[in-house]
Amino acid sequence: MPAYFDDKDLAHFGDLKEHNPELWTAFERYYVAAFEPGLLSKREKVLIGFAVAQVSQCPYCIDSYTQTALEQGLTMKHLAEALHAAASLRAGIALAHGLVAHNVDKKISM
Amino acid sequence: MTTTVPTSRFALRVSGAHGELRAALPTTLQVNVGKRCNQACHHCHVDASPTRTEVMGDDVFEACLDVLARTPELDTLDITGGAPELHPRFREMVARGRALGRKVMVRHNLTVQFEPGFADLSAFFAAHEAEVVCSLPHYTEDATDRQRGRGVFAKSIEAMRALNAVGYGRHASLVVNLVSNPVGAFLPPPQADLERDTRQWLFDHHGVVFNALFTITNMPISRFAAWLQRAGNYDAYMARLEAAFNPATVPGLMCRSLVSVGYDGTLYDCDFNQMLEMGLNGGLPMRIEAFDLGRLRGRRVRTGEHCFGCTAGGGSSCGGALA
Repeated sequence: MPAYFDDKDLAHFGDLKEHNPELWTAFERYYVAAFEPGLLSKREKVLIGFAVAQVSQCPYCIDSYTQTALEQGLTMKHLAEALHAAASLRAGIALAHGLVAHNVDKKISM
Repeated sequence: MTTTVPTSRFALRVSGAHGELRAALPTTLQVNVGKRCNQACHHCHVDASPTRTEVMGDDVFEACLDVLARTPELDTLDITGGAPELHPRFREMVARGRALGRKVMVRHNLTVQFEPGFADLSAFFAAHEAEVVCSLPHYTEDATDRQRGRGVFAKSIEAMRALNAVGYGRHASLVVNLVSNPVGAFLPPPQADLERDTRQWLFDHHGVVFNALFTITNMPISRFAAWLQRAGNYDAYMARLEAAFNPATVPGLMCRSLVSVGYDGTLYDCDFNQMLEMGLNGGLPMRIEAFDLGRLRGRRVRTGEHCFGCTAGGGSSCGGALA
């Protein structure tokens, strides 16, 4: 295996269906329905997908959602804002977990 | 001698949905007056630039206006280039087209207003009530300048302000529309969404108004095709266009309602075929002097794989999305 991630694999995402068609079909319906415009626009949902892809560090999803975002009229300037918003939240989450250490220290230290 | 032209994948795809692609009644004469332009944009399907020398001569110029005069069904004269304003008789063509009672559209790159001798262009357009179709790929400076050159966005905003100042976008008879091409190898966004965002951003940040925004897909020909090849995007882009084929766009394809005239007088089904030097199918009038509406109506349209650019997603035409 030359590489774990290859952009050509993205087109074969659906090949996973063969292992459990029923659950795969259920996933597809759910995924499509979740991204349909509702109270949130298609573009807002694409931006959520982009942010989740970034913080989940999925190269397939980052590739796909970057292209989809560009086709929604967004530019890399827009995506950079979304990226920093997501990244800052991740930073805040890491810091918030510091409360555990903070509390442990308060409890057991003199 | 009869030559057999291989059937394109596009033709097969269209025939599956609509049968053979044929024109309806042509109502627009789209005239390309030359390839000279003050800009050299990355996406340009004309390969236009300041160094191009092709320009429409007087005989062809007169023939175009003669066809317009004797063909009342042609209700629109669509003048393009290059930057059409650089043609020495451009203003005469606008004035005579209007005098014939036709709607006259000008494909305007905005920055030509800053070339020497063009400061009064907005006032000229307004005096003749020409419909101005302006190139502005995106409402952000960064994206626009990457496609059209550094400093183009700022100049474009100044030019839009000049058009607004003489009444464009404010009076019903003075129509200014924007055209947006994607800044790269991807499809345009939904036209209504981009129009809404552009309208709000340009007004809030620049005090600029316009009537409508048209999204146009970048065509995989000429300079844009060369960029696709260099960047390693050509195959993926073609696959994207083909995969996004939308049969609902076919009835509105611009080749069905216009005839394109090259600077040398040759007739084409559209401006893109013109750049590929794909003339009309055999047996049809090939030059403007032989223009015959009866024979051009219902003609078979010449197609190639580039035509997937007009049928992808929401579709694409000189008037924007189709579906």
